[in-house]
Amino acid sequence: MRTKALLASAAALGVTLAACGSSSSSSTSSGSSSTPAAPAQITVGTTYSGSGAYATSSIPEYDGIKFWVQQENAKGGVFVGAYNKRIPVKLVAYNDLSSATTAATQYNQLITQDKVNIFIADFGSVLTAPAVSLAEAHKVVLFDQTGTGIPFFTPQNKYIVLCDLPVSSIWPDVLAKFIISKKIKNIAAIYDTNDFDASQATTLKSDLAAAGINLSYYQGVPTSTTSYGTLLQTISAQKPDAVLEFGYAANDTPFLQNVQSSGMHFKMVFTVFPGQLLGLFQQQVGNAGLQYTYTYGTNFYVNYPTVTEGLNSATFATDFAKAFPGQLNSLSLDGYNTGLVVQASLKNAKSLSQADIRAGAMAASGNMTTLDGKFVLNSEGAQTGELLPVAQLFPSSTGITLKAVYPASQATGTAVYPAPGA
Amino acid sequence: MPKTAEIKTLQNTGSKTKTLISPAIATLVPVIGFALAIHVYSNELLLTYMAIYVALAQGVNIMYGFTGYLPFGYFGFFGVGAYVSGLAMLNYNLPPVVAVIVGGLGGALVGAILSPLFRLRGAYFAIGTLAASEAIYTIVANPSLQSITNGPYGLNLANYYSSGMAYGSAIALVAISIIAVSYVRGSRFGLTLKAIRDDPYSASMAGVNVPRQRFYAWLISAAIAGMAGSIFGWATSVFYPQAVFDSSLSVLAIVFALFGGVGSVWGPTIGAVLLYSVYNAIGISNPEYFQLIYGLVIVLLVLFAPRGLLGFWNFFAQKIRRKRVTND
Repeated sequence: MRTKALLASAAALGVTLAACGSSSSSSTSSGSSSTPAAPAQITVGTTYSGSGAYATSSIPEYDGIKFWVQQENAKGGVFVGAYNKRIPVKLVAYNDLSSATTAATQYNQLITQDKVNIFIADFGSVLTAPAVSLAEAHKVVLFDQTGTGIPFFTPQNKYIVLCDLPVSSIWPDVLAKFIISKKIKNIAAIYDTNDFDASQATTLKSDLAAAGINLSYYQGVPTSTTSYGTLLQTISAQKPDAVLEFGYAANDTPFLQNVQSSGMHFKMVFTVFPGQLLGLFQQQVGNAGLQYTYTYGTNFYVNYPTVTEGLNSATFATDFAKAFPGQLNSLSLDGYNTGLVVQASLKNAKSLSQADIRAGAMAASGNMTTLDGKFVLNSEGAQTGELLPVAQLFPSSTGITLKAVYPASQATGTAVYPAPGA
Repeated sequence: MPKTAEIKTLQNTGSKTKTLISPAIATLVPVIGFALAIHVYSNELLLTYMAIYVALAQGVNIMYGFTGYLPFGYFGFFGVGAYVSGLAMLNYNLPPVVAVIVGGLGGALVGAILSPLFRLRGAYFAIGTLAASEAIYTIVANPSLQSITNGPYGLNLANYYSSGMAYGSAIALVAISIIAVSYVRGSRFGLTLKAIRDDPYSASMAGVNVPRQRFYAWLISAAIAGMAGSIFGWATSVFYPQAVFDSSLSVLAIVFALFGGVGSVWGPTIGAVLLYSVYNAIGISNPEYFQLIYGLVIVLLVLFAPRGLLGFWNFFAQKIRRKRVTND
């Protein structure tokens, strides 16, 4: 009798699974290429981290998108080439609390319930990851802001566009060249064991190895690491000429604090995020802990007076500061730049179908310069145009000033190596 | 047949039918509910995750509800399942459904390896499982193991992505987990587990092989978490180690199970469906309030319904019954 009941349950389960299986195929949206009447509005959907580990980076990016929407709506909407007119933009945004699982369900909500025209991921690779397959399966273009993870970009995925940064694996190319140019041989590198940081460390290691330089210290640590005291003691024992730390903002901050509190002085200290969130680092680390350290000099610190899309660097700085006082940084520029990539895609697209929007983005590739530099995509939708210069933080009358020091073509200052006091 | 014997036979048949029908209903209602829900609400991933949480809450139920051991590190089996099944797909080209089963076996295998943790009790066991799961996460995400686990770079299962199949598998897992709990609850095995939970020394004196019975419950629970992780990885498709070795998965599964009521068949299902619905309903608009509501729910639960919603329900049902008896 028990067996019969279980068999009955199994049979009913089979029927219900078949029912839900058939529903799934009908629930996906298709990328039709027909051009219906112009919509009343263009819906832009995204998620942001209102709290949690990624909030400090995600909120400025979200502000940048909001600023772009405000700018376009003030002109009557974003220009859509397929209809040769401006259409107002509606922004739909959910707070994912820095949780990849929550972000995943909200991404699905944006695609299946809100049926957004433009689908934008949250900050960083961890929160972008769940959007990649969803976008591909639903044939919706994912405007990937700063998710620079390598696994996202594959030849078969035609529904992703990396907007604001190059893939993380090519970030340290310029840094490696700088180290080689300075003839620095004894190098210690510490990195967080996540895709973003580990891929940078791997690239740096192989770039330096190609130049005959082997790292004297090369150690991965969990991304949750916030105490570097013991690790610094070990590094210090190697007497390195350069100490490089690849982490997120939540790692770079305690690392720099620990370097300062330990009283250690290295000839060169490099961290990733001060160049993107300088104001935050000034508050949390202090100017004394930042001076003469190195970071990636994002395009926020490069002046682009002439652009082909959107505002130039100076106008953006002024207008954004008025709209969002105290929020101006590299990541808010990234958010705004995402809007500009969307804008260019819509301008070039022959219809509002997702395939045409992707084609619109590809058409902009190589032909667009914004306040974030040259926009160039490879065939997989990965950004390859915006190489990040090496920058150094100099003491100044206002506290700290970031200057690009390498390569010479982008330099706004001269590197001080070794750092004073080392 | 004497009349009294006839009545006894009828009573036994009635009670047997009841013990078979109620688990069948407890299984079929959520299964049919999930199957129909997709026709009403097309956010399939949300429903998939909800089904996964129902299975996880039932897995916690088997472990905590029947043995009294609270596995805070339950997410470890979940992550292992996601990785084992993902690697089985990528390296051996196994069909996803088969890979899900392999993921479950992977979870159970790790459960067997961690079984010495049963030397610990109470909070020490909870912390021990948490530490073990964090250790597994660190191993999986270690760049030195990139050739095996792909280290910190995560897994990309986009070539195997099939939202409908993943959702169907999640529903099947809900059924499996509820059938497992029903079996445990109604069997001699379940009785021995309850005896162990209430007083392991007395159970041992009565001839119960305490370590072995607990070990079996632990394996079933770990296998369910492993399969849940496998389906999660398959449905999410591109994931990093931190997404599947996330301690909040354990916290949510435990809270869902406690909210509904552990030791019962319906409790964890109701708890997971209700609380996860609330989570997403608020999460879609203002998730920051969820943490406040979540905190309040836990406080109220501990104060007024320590046995969960079903405990609350039973309390009132008994009160009404007593009142009726008094009135009669």
